[in-house]
Amino acid sequence: MKLSVNIKELRLSTSTGDRELLHDVNFSLEENNIYSILGKNGCGKSTLIRSFSGLNDRKFCLIAGLILADNIDIITASVEELTTLRKDKIKYVFQDAANSFDPLRKLDYYFKRFKIDQSKSEELLKYFLLPSLKELGEMYPYELSGGMAQRLCFVIALLMEPELLILDEPTSGIDPAIANLFLLKIKEFAAGGKKTILLVTQDINFAKSLGGFIAHISEGTLSPFIGSAEYFSSDNVLFKKGDL
Amino acid sequence: MTLLLKAENISFKTDKNKDILKDISFELSQGNILGIAGESGSGKTTLGKILAGLLVPTSGQIILNKPLDWQKTRVSPVQILFQNNGEILNPFRRIDSVVREGVKLRFGKNADSYKRAEEIFDSLNFDKSLRKRKGFELSGGEQQRGALARLLAVEPEILILDEPFSAQDPDSQLTFLELFKKINREKGTTMICISHNLKILQELCSYVLIMYKGAVVESGDCKTLFGSPVHPYTKFLFKAENYKLTYDEFIAMRT
Repeated sequence: MKLSVNIKELRLSTSTGDRELLHDVNFSLEENNIYSILGKNGCGKSTLIRSFSGLNDRKFCLIAGLILADNIDIITASVEELTTLRKDKIKYVFQDAANSFDPLRKLDYYFKRFKIDQSKSEELLKYFLLPSLKELGEMYPYELSGGMAQRLCFVIALLMEPELLILDEPTSGIDPAIANLFLLKIKEFAAGGKKTILLVTQDINFAKSLGGFIAHISEGTLSPFIGSAEYFSSDNVLFKKGDL
Repeated sequence: MTLLLKAENISFKTDKNKDILKDISFELSQGNILGIAGESGSGKTTLGKILAGLLVPTSGQIILNKPLDWQKTRVSPVQILFQNNGEILNPFRRIDSVVREGVKLRFGKNADSYKRAEEIFDSLNFDKSLRKRKGFELSGGEQQRGALARLLAVEPEILILDEPFSAQDPDSQLTFLELFKKINREKGTTMICISHNLKILQELCSYVLIMYKGAVVESGDCKTLFGSPVHPYTKFLFKAENYKLTYDEFIAMRT
């Protein structure tokens, strides 16, 4: 990864300052790796990863500390700097993928807008059982099911070949069989050279099968990232979740 | 054990003559919990609706051994908990009034509906402060509990649960699982649980049907079936759940 990401003493709290969501988050991301963050509903997982792309609304969330991406501090970065980072280096796939699309534009907009290689697009669309570019391009977002929208967002993000790909709950609301396709592609993407993936999930099996590094959030603290095998070993007292 | 429900050669076609369900037969004894597993589009919900009497099968029949006291009432002894409860609970009515209405429908106007409603809410650990709220004032999980309270108000013989765990985080899934077990244990309610989550079905059910493209491809008691699945599709579902599928295996099952 040409992009270097370092997080130093990051603190997130509600805008009124009366509730600290996360305190003292410190870590850095290395290339060719997958980083998964586990945690329950409402523990601040999404808020944390949104802050890496400067997506938190400052009206509701106060951020302190340093998030350095290529030595640009995302917390204090200008709109132009953030736009460049988001355009070229960091891609974020939202949990409610269907809402990522402009409802008034046909889907070919996204393929034309970013000048994506057509054969590569076709290949990935086919892989994820989506209609061909010609057919899909003529569709509006409302014609996609939730699962299709999620797959399409992921496909577009992959096609942009970002250096850092951030995924918010990639398997929520999709069939387990399709979730397997996500797993295979994420692994392939991370192994494909100088790429990093950071994701949050509640799906313990998914995180386990991805390998890479795992951490979890509990009571406002992010545990250190440790290797998957070590994290899920019975010796790890940090991991006490009931694996249903 | 008393035989409560028998499905005989149930088939269902759409208006355009597309097969949704093909020749499904099974039996359900009183007090048991039956699981129906399969992916989206395999026909699970359609089967649930037919069992609840909401859809009429194109061919085949459902035989229900209705106990005597049900014959005096117009309430169905088979109740179904849908996936999208937010759309089903009346958003402008208080949940306690909805539940009391259910009690009266089933047990007559003279029934002590206040007492019964409170007992049902208590058994579901439905917080006292929530009971006076209207449908739209409840969160997704609370709405689901509210809808469940309304179903239990008529003390159904069979309770059908359609993907009851799909919109919940793992902790709430466990809580709900325990709740269903408790209802089954304490009330003796027979249940049918539709879910794609094999691990949960394994925890909850005694018998399970595996559905693929509208047909039952494998069935059996949970322990045997989950212990050594035979049909390739059942094996596929297990692999998928454990993230062990290869792309080729995935495609082979889709075509």
